[in-house]
Amino acid sequence: MSPAAKPGPDESARLGLRLTLPAQVLVLFISVFPLLMQLYISLTDWSPLSGLAWPRAWEMWNTFANYTDLLSDNRLWSALGRTLLVMAICVPVEFLLGLGLAILFADNFPGKRLLYSILIMPMMVVPAVAGYMFYMLFQSGGPANDLLSAISGIPVTVAWLSDPTLALAAVMVADIWQWTPLMFLILLAGLVGVPQDQVKAATLLGANAWQRFVTIVLPRMSAIIIIALAIRVIECFKIFDTLFIMTGGGPGVATETISVYIYKITTQDLIWGYVAAIALAILIVLSVACVWAMKRMAK
Amino acid sequence: MAEIAFRHVTKRYGRTLAVDDASFTVADNEFFCFFGPPLSGKSTILRLILGLEKPDVGEVLIDGRVVNAVSPAARNIAMVFQNLALFPHMTAAGNIRFPLVERGVPELQIRARMADAAEKLHITHILHKFPGQLSGGERQRVAIARALVRDPAAYLMDDPISALDARLREETRVELKRIQREAGRTLIYVTHDQEEAMSVADRMAILEHGAIRQIGTPSQIYDHPATAYVARFLGSPMMNILTATRQGYSVSAAGAAIQLAAPDLTGIASLGLRPEDLRVSPWAGGTGSPATVIEVEPLGGHTVVTLEAGGTRLRAMLRGQPDIRVSAQVALTCDPARVHYFGDSGETLRPSHQGGSE
Amino acid sequence: MSAIRLENLVKRFGAFTALKTMDLAVDDGEFMALLGPSGCGKSTTMNMIAGMERPSEGRILFGDRDMAGVAMGQRGVGFVFQNYAIFTHMSVRQNLSYGLRMGGRPKAEVAQRTGAIADLLQLGDLLDRPAAGLSVNILQRVAIGRSAVMEPAIFLLDEPLSNVDAAFRAVMRTELKQLQRQFRQTMVYVTHDQLEAMTMADRIAVMDHGVLQQVGRPLEIYNDPANLFVARFIGSPGMNLLAGLPLETAAGPVVDLGAIGHSPVLAPAQAAAARRARGAVVYGFRPEQVATVPPGHGMAMPVSFVERIGARTILHLGHGAQGAKAVFENDVGLSPGSMAHLAPIPAAIRLFDAETGVALRGT
Repeated sequence: MSPAAKPGPDESARLGLRLTLPAQVLVLFISVFPLLMQLYISLTDWSPLSGLAWPRAWEMWNTFANYTDLLSDNRLWSALGRTLLVMAICVPVEFLLGLGLAILFADNFPGKRLLYSILIMPMMVVPAVAGYMFYMLFQSGGPANDLLSAISGIPVTVAWLSDPTLALAAVMVADIWQWTPLMFLILLAGLVGVPQDQVKAATLLGANAWQRFVTIVLPRMSAIIIIALAIRVIECFKIFDTLFIMTGGGPGVATETISVYIYKITTQDLIWGYVAAIALAILIVLSVACVWAMKRMAK
Repeated sequence: MAEIAFRHVTKRYGRTLAVDDASFTVADNEFFCFFGPPLSGKSTILRLILGLEKPDVGEVLIDGRVVNAVSPAARNIAMVFQNLALFPHMTAAGNIRFPLVERGVPELQIRARMADAAEKLHITHILHKFPGQLSGGERQRVAIARALVRDPAAYLMDDPISALDARLREETRVELKRIQREAGRTLIYVTHDQEEAMSVADRMAILEHGAIRQIGTPSQIYDHPATAYVARFLGSPMMNILTATRQGYSVSAAGAAIQLAAPDLTGIASLGLRPEDLRVSPWAGGTGSPATVIEVEPLGGHTVVTLEAGGTRLRAMLRGQPDIRVSAQVALTCDPARVHYFGDSGETLRPSHQGGSE
Repeated sequence: MSAIRLENLVKRFGAFTALKTMDLAVDDGEFMALLGPSGCGKSTTMNMIAGMERPSEGRILFGDRDMAGVAMGQRGVGFVFQNYAIFTHMSVRQNLSYGLRMGGRPKAEVAQRTGAIADLLQLGDLLDRPAAGLSVNILQRVAIGRSAVMEPAIFLLDEPLSNVDAAFRAVMRTELKQLQRQFRQTMVYVTHDQLEAMTMADRIAVMDHGVLQQVGRPLEIYNDPANLFVARFIGSPGMNLLAGLPLETAAGPVVDLGAIGHSPVLAPAQAAAARRARGAVVYGFRPEQVATVPPGHGMAMPVSFVERIGARTILHLGHGAQGAKAVFENDVGLSPGSMAHLAPIPAAIRLFDAETGVALRGT
């Protein structure tokens, strides 16, 4: 190839732009367009039952009525509250368990590889299958109760999935089982990235294991920890598959989290304009939280 | 064939001035060295020559042709990076033949060139190993061999041997010099080790904050530095630079402890004395400046003595292992012809009948 | 109290023996350099002194106290890592005070001692700056100060200048030496640079492939190397070593150097050493200890290369095993291709047994 044919530094950049244009258009179409569509519908009373095609939804314009409605929707706020409760309990538990496991895995011990494979397995299970699995586990005559009977000596026949409080607890157990491995993996990566020289230096200066952990290891893991927590918190708003198969949102609305609620009014009540408003509102709140988390991480 | 030149090249990164109006010409088949402290622009100049960066102002020329817009591959220059950038998943042999395979060189030629380069660098016995199995010195030589097989117009090397043990560095730099002679190609070399630079370079350029302060042979720059900055940079221990004032027919330094006959120069602000130009003898009250010995560093082949004269510290380098004790009173003398004089802004002062630097 | 004694120290990593039976005594307040090429076992030795590795055999004593079983954090040693291992997420002050804080010292004491160390090391203005992004020169002082504030009796430094640019190394060598004078602690310093060791150490322990080659004051090691390795390793360039056979001639005892010819007549001490040889010898002389002589005298060697480095000129003579170097001031007037006629200073000749590599001594 003669020197004239190959592009110099500037021309390479322009060529690159042209080559990625199709991909950029695709991304635009897939993410931005639906968002705009959603925004449009959220400002109307549109529903598929209305007989109109969605581009004509403007005929049922109600400006911000959907948004004000959602503020006074009790069922929505209960669902939100339940979601936050699940988050407040599950995320810390998963974090601590994941951290404990990561610390355990920092050193070598016999059977490490085997235990590693076992720990990763829950992540590989399809959430719906996991839901069915826990559904069976938590039956009145099921293995959960058998285990408790064996431990306590008293026959236990709790009806987990029929009791409002216990159903939520069961759902939390399923969530913790499924997501601790991810926390474990992320935190292990963060732990391994801590410079060993600094840990050794701290030891030589007389710091004990706990002091080293708090003053050196945790601070150096802070970026990873924030990522792990952010991922998990956002995921909590999306809890659906497992939960829905286990309880269907019941008994009643005892385990109805925000995603379940949205699903129900989308498929049962079919007020899609309202649903669009809810979804958009959640998107905005989560985005703000995400940006805050990322700013903290950049420091 | 590669004569490489810069004409008034300037390069900025954001607000930082990386290269400041640099102009130079590297002759064909020359071993040219860029020398300076970290962040003085050496690596940037290499990248501009290679074509990884474009100058903001000025022209880069290869063999008289302006190559600003020519891609790195088309410039046919081989580079050895500071971190070697060896492919860890290939053997040493795989690494060395890689550039030739990429260019579609016939297999027989690849084998011949590889064998030749391996022999020159004494790595024939480790060609089958992976970089992870090689010592630092061996990895270095594989990286150099990879550049060598390409038969390019010129070689660029960015501090290729600084990671080696001191002893290995001394041996490898002689090897590099020999290889460059045999290969018959231009070699542009960057280093921050002044002994290395003086040893290998045919000519060198001293850099400060992206600007070239002086270009010349190592001997020229060492004997006739253009500024106090350049003078301090070459030579170990560093040249002693003392503030000096003219008083009538003499020049006074080190709080009047050092007196020299005033040279035919004006505007003297400081003077420089190289440690090896200072002579030390026991104080007998006669000629010389009085000084006290603060420290003696016996290095075997020579001895570095730190002295204090008139409240100023100086270092002298004496041959062999003379019998000198700490706190001894000594007389300092120096050949007046070997004293360097500097003006207010650090530029070397020369009698008007002499030429400038280089 | 802060003398170190290594007795029969051995360290194995699986099948690989990194250190073979090392015996060394470091005096209280001494600056001892462990010098040798990469892989000679010097860092392993130091890690064992610090407690980061456990010896496979042998013991380590601080004063009279056997350190076996004493954990790394309890030994009271200061350690400066090769890359300094500064806590980059903390400020300079937090770095310096780390050891004191972890030890639970009262706040007032921590503040006072930290301030004193900072003043001593000229870090006073930088105390509240984040440690990340500071220059290497400052980081070195923070690394030293962080250990020094604990007032350890023993200070260990693992090649602290190897990451420093050549230009700054000389400056920082001087600083380190001054600091050692000030603190007067026992210092063990690992390096592969013989110039560093010669400049800074009170005594040098030369090591190669896990074996201690020689221990002594810098000039002792330079003038009387115990074997070929030390002769070659110390000095820049290292000692010239030419293979030869002792020979009695009419002029006196010489060494037959093959193609180069006969060496100049040996002085009495060297002649006595030559007589103790059991066969081939190695004729050694330092490049700085030769003089030019008229043709017909001394050794004739072709000049293959001239290296002019500032104050000195190094002549590369001969080739390969018959090669040598000579160092002169700059008025030597010899160029590549010409013939050099040299004679080493008779008293500076050193002879070695060609088979064992051990130095031959007259007595």
